[in-house]
Amino acid sequence: MTLLEFARGPAINAALVIFVFGVIWRLFWLLFLPRAADHSVAKLGAGAAVSSAAGGFVRHMWPPREYAARTRFSLIVGYVLHFGLAIIVFGFAQHILFIRDIFGIGWPGLPTGVITVVSVITLAALIAALVRRMTNPVLKMISTFADYWAWFVVTLPVVTGLMAVSHLLLRYEDMLGVHILSVALMLATFPFSKLMHAFLVFVTRSQTSFFYSRRGSHV
Amino acid sequence: MADWMSQQGTVGEALTRQGISRRSLLKYSSYLATLLALPPTSSQAIAQALAGAKRQSVIWLSFQECTGCIESLTRSFSPSVEEMIFNLISLDYQETLQAAAGEAAERARLEAMEANKGKYVVVVDGSVSTRDGGIYSTAAGKTNLEVLKETAKDALAILSVGTCSSFGGIPRAHPNPTGAEPVSAIITDKPIINVSGCPPMPEVIAGTIAYLVTFGKLPELDHLGRPKPFFGDNIHDRCYRRPFYDQGKFAKSFDDAGAREGWCLYELGCKGPVTYNACATIKWNGNTSFPIQSGHGCLGCSEPNFWDAGSFYKPLPGRMTGAGEAVLGAAAVGAVAGAGSAFIARRRKAAASDPSASPSVPEGADQ
Amino acid sequence: MSPRDVGHDGGQFAQVSTGMAHAVEREIGQHLLALAHDGTEAAIDLRSIPMSDADRAELEESLGRGEVSATLDAMGRSDIWETAHAGVWWVRHFGTEGQVMAERIEIARVPDILRADPADVEAAAIRLGRARDFIDAHADSVAGG
Repeated sequence: MTLLEFARGPAINAALVIFVFGVIWRLFWLLFLPRAADHSVAKLGAGAAVSSAAGGFVRHMWPPREYAARTRFSLIVGYVLHFGLAIIVFGFAQHILFIRDIFGIGWPGLPTGVITVVSVITLAALIAALVRRMTNPVLKMISTFADYWAWFVVTLPVVTGLMAVSHLLLRYEDMLGVHILSVALMLATFPFSKLMHAFLVFVTRSQTSFFYSRRGSHV
Repeated sequence: MADWMSQQGTVGEALTRQGISRRSLLKYSSYLATLLALPPTSSQAIAQALAGAKRQSVIWLSFQECTGCIESLTRSFSPSVEEMIFNLISLDYQETLQAAAGEAAERARLEAMEANKGKYVVVVDGSVSTRDGGIYSTAAGKTNLEVLKETAKDALAILSVGTCSSFGGIPRAHPNPTGAEPVSAIITDKPIINVSGCPPMPEVIAGTIAYLVTFGKLPELDHLGRPKPFFGDNIHDRCYRRPFYDQGKFAKSFDDAGAREGWCLYELGCKGPVTYNACATIKWNGNTSFPIQSGHGCLGCSEPNFWDAGSFYKPLPGRMTGAGEAVLGAAAVGAVAGAGSAFIARRRKAAASDPSASPSVPEGADQ
Repeated sequence: MSPRDVGHDGGQFAQVSTGMAHAVEREIGQHLLALAHDGTEAAIDLRSIPMSDADRAELEESLGRGEVSATLDAMGRSDIWETAHAGVWWVRHFGTEGQVMAERIEIARVPDILRADPADVEAAAIRLGRARDFIDAHADSVAGG
């Protein structure tokens, strides 16, 4: 069995099984956790649950003016790498085929050149984020292994994908195998890492917004 | 096998005997220089080297194979061009082509081995059965395994022609009932060149042999033992449909508008990106076409395990096999485990709110 | 473009002029200077560099035709002609079924393939000698018959 056969065969399937199990396990656990009933009376003018949650979520997508200057760097880098990753994952014809293979649905892809440029920009944003994390004293202090791990398993597929396309270091078929294995690593550790924020961001931000809305505050 | 095919002497003598002029040889050398990507000025030197070279004694062994490889060579597009190779070699044993049969044929092999001890080249097509002592493929009362070991012992080098002898090929496909193995798994003390393909291109077989005779050494080989002049690039990088791949234009079925426009066949399972061969440049049937040009994706026939590497029609990013039930099972187990974990948490909370226990921590206090 | 076109000409690339002809022409110019200077011969393999059919047609037209042209009949036809530039020869080898086997530009006083090879000359001399001997030996019967 070649590296590529191992990656396209048992490795990616095992990773998918772990991914699905882990994500559903954590989501079900969270959803069924006991919640203390809130017996307080909502402040006058507090919005309805859904609208306050949704409104807060949308407001959180952009920082308040007074924080704009202080958060500019992480805001730009964060948006660039998140949009970049989305374009790579959902816009590259090869990745759409992977998704179609699992879910049975696909859509038209973008030209390879566009994806290559986006990948390089995304990689630059990822490196910038890491450098900031390692140099900013506060960020450095609050960072744990989990933060670096999340960065590593996201960056690895970007790097190996670019290397496979440009035939660097290894032969294409081997680098493609390494690339698929790196995706398998990301998928298998996803539910147990900080990458889970891809699902939980909707829960946490909405919940926080709703919580403060009841107290008459818009955050 | 015609008599002249197995005569000794120099290549030049063989040509003169047949009334083939040196201009033909020079023309052939120009062709070889193009084929092997050698400097164009080397054609004169190649012609001279060939004319003076002794015809290379070749013993061709056919094992678990379909005869497609020798057909590829002898029925190639332009017999006079590819048959030129038979002037360069003395084909001393080839079961399909030789006139001799039975004991006379086996004697021819043993005589050639004795006469050219240490100097003959063994060409093998077909994989070798190894299970139960190799009894699943025999000729003249001997297993292929025995004949290979016996013949390879005093050989100069071995040329594995075709994917079966190079990598095991279809006989080695799951569940491999005969224990088929490539030559390289059995013979480990001789130089081996793998000319893979199912079948290999006639130009590639002939070009590799011509290289051996001309330069008296092995061509540069890749990591799978294949000659780099022919297996240096993958099909995809040399494919004329490559611009469509880069533009993201893919045929979605074999009869849609994209297919008619000649768009890339990647989504239809083409294995061109992971297949190394000369099909896209030399092309088949006298530079007429190759599978992708004829509208079908590459099967990857010159690569190991091509038969077992998932469906020919599954795109490369797709998984080789689905894991549908396992994934659904994982989802179900995840849901149960999640609910179970939450239930345990509720129990703990209930126990904690018991007046006899310590006061509970209010929800959200950790935020 | 009809599907037949795609299948048989290798797609759109064949018709596209890539500017390769100009590059090859410059290379020929350099080799020609060397030939004029010290007699160094050179050759360019037109089938191993990425040239489209259109590129080759462009180069052929641009180099033009000179005073000499020859047809070789060995393992299929070969067309050899001197281009409008003395010392620059176009050599196109066909196989027995008319497909192009090799195509090259040779920068030389005379392309090698046009010269009679000593081995062929020797074989010819022997054959001719044998034929003469035969005729001499049978002259009487030939004349008498």
